[in-house]
Amino acid sequence: MLLKDTPIRHKLMRAILLTSSAVLLITCSFYFAYEFFTFRNTSIRQLSILGEIIATNSTAAMAFDSREDANEILSALKAEPHIVAAILYDKEGNPFSNYPLSAKTTTVLPKSDFEERYSFEESYLVGFQPVIQGNKRLGTLYLKSDMGAMYERIRLYGIMAVIVTIISFLVAYFLSKNLQKSISKPILALAEISQAIAKRNDYSVRATKLGEDEIGLLTDAFNQMLEQIHTQNQEIQLFNKNLELKIKERTYELEIANKELEAFSYSVSHDLRAPLRSIDGYSRILIEDYGDKIDDEGKRTLQIIVKNALKMGYLIDDLLAFSRLGKQNVTKILLDMNAIAQRVTEEMVAQNYKTSEVTIEPLLSTKGDSSMLRQVMTNLISNALKYSTKKEKPVITIGSYHENDYDIFYVKDNGAGFDMKYYDKLFGVFQRLHSPSEFEGTGVGLALVHRIITKHGGKVWAEGKVNEGATFYFSLPVF
Amino acid sequence: MITRRYIFTLFLLIGIVFLSPAQLSGPSQEYQVKAVFLFNFAQFVEWSPSTFPETETPMVIGVLGEDPFGTYLDETVHGEKINNHALIVQRYKKVEDVKKCHILFINYKKKDQIKQALSALKVKDILTVSDASNFAQLGGVIGFFTEEGKIRIRVNLEVAKNSELSISSKLLRVAEIVKSENN
Repeated sequence: MLLKDTPIRHKLMRAILLTSSAVLLITCSFYFAYEFFTFRNTSIRQLSILGEIIATNSTAAMAFDSREDANEILSALKAEPHIVAAILYDKEGNPFSNYPLSAKTTTVLPKSDFEERYSFEESYLVGFQPVIQGNKRLGTLYLKSDMGAMYERIRLYGIMAVIVTIISFLVAYFLSKNLQKSISKPILALAEISQAIAKRNDYSVRATKLGEDEIGLLTDAFNQMLEQIHTQNQEIQLFNKNLELKIKERTYELEIANKELEAFSYSVSHDLRAPLRSIDGYSRILIEDYGDKIDDEGKRTLQIIVKNALKMGYLIDDLLAFSRLGKQNVTKILLDMNAIAQRVTEEMVAQNYKTSEVTIEPLLSTKGDSSMLRQVMTNLISNALKYSTKKEKPVITIGSYHENDYDIFYVKDNGAGFDMKYYDKLFGVFQRLHSPSEFEGTGVGLALVHRIITKHGGKVWAEGKVNEGATFYFSLPVF
Repeated sequence: MITRRYIFTLFLLIGIVFLSPAQLSGPSQEYQVKAVFLFNFAQFVEWSPSTFPETETPMVIGVLGEDPFGTYLDETVHGEKINNHALIVQRYKKVEDVKKCHILFINYKKKDQIKQALSALKVKDILTVSDASNFAQLGGVIGFFTEEGKIRIRVNLEVAKNSELSISSKLLRVAEIVKSENN
């Protein structure tokens, strides 16, 4: 496991233990080194003092050739157990007296060792001390001290260092184990609570603050954030509830208004029919029965009345169809759009638009209400034929394609087209982009198309340019 | 009486062999050591400052009577200095000849002769040395004697004190301390 992934309390403990160990190690090492060097220096100083004392004391023994005295002086070295050997050499370098007495030597001291010198040789400290009385050299004292004391002390130090390290490490371990809790505990508590919140989405929970330190601040901030989320959540919920209520109200109101409107328009159009029929009927009677009594101008006026009554009849028919549509249910069946387009086109071309060229590309079969879609096709194709009559060679193309789970059909013409500026008005009831004198029409056709396609769950849209034609699209959901 | 004479000679020879210091093969080597000792005394004894009126005043080692050292004594002290005082050797035939000196080796063997010399010398500040037997007991400061074939020394502290000589305790360690015998 990587260090950055270990739990915080392990990190803390590791930091504490490593720090204390490092400090201890460095301290021990320095102390050890200090002891080692001081002990070395002390040993040299002690031996040189001893050497000087013995050398000074043995001058007379050397001067007056008293081996007994020299032996006696050297035998005092018994008090210093680390001195393993001592030899007094006379001024020629011949052994004069030695300690211990049993270790007699005959080796002559080389001239190079006549100088005062104290040095470590292997595990011994060796010293050469001239024996001088006044300014007269009488001989040389040789001392050999084993450094057992030093090694003993170093070993003791080593053992002590190990024991101290172990004890300190244990103490540091237990201390850090307890002390790290003051840091890690609040963090862990915070982490636990945040996790619980993340799991249950319960923002009403609050973290307990354990102190006024940075973690305390963090806890406060955390709680504050929770509080904010909590209140915001409540507000959003309240808002949502209000919104839903409002939508329901509005929908209800709208439905009522729509129904009222439909009922109204239905009754209006229905009731308008009867008087219109009278106007039409009596106008015709006037023309037929009293034609000879009315002059030409009167006849022409009557013809206009009849024509307008007829027009109004169409208008009422369209309005009725449009309002009836609100009540009708969509019954979806699989439709052969090719057949529908074909029949609608044939009927219309045969009647009024013999010069128009209509191309029907193979159309997709789609699901929809038979009569409604027939109405849609009729309206779109008749529009296309109507608005392209002023062209020398009107060309109309009917096609379809599939896109994003929708079957899309279009009717394209090269007629009058429209200005995209007024696109918004295209599908509104009684909204017309052209005057009736230019092109006949009630202004209900596209509104009807829009209504039918919307009822099917599809969309209607158009593209057009003035005098360059227009394309009307509608899409039907496949499912 | 040839036999008696022979035996006497033999005894004499044996006596010489046995009585003379075993490790010293002859009187000359014995006096070689004694010459060094005389020089060494200069290092372990302090004289009163009045004996060195000037810093250049030499330290004088005198030999009274017949000189047994030959050239050894001169060789030993040659070029040596004690506290910046050069060492010189003076030889005196008679007590009356003795002038100012620091160490005086009296080469007399007879007790009366020694006593006489010592009383005549009643001068302070002279370290009298002799290898005459019981010299220290007779009123000399240091006497040589031979023990187990080695030359050793006796010191009469009383006389030394009277002569205002201070003898180093280190020297006393290797010496045998005796008192004057008034007989």
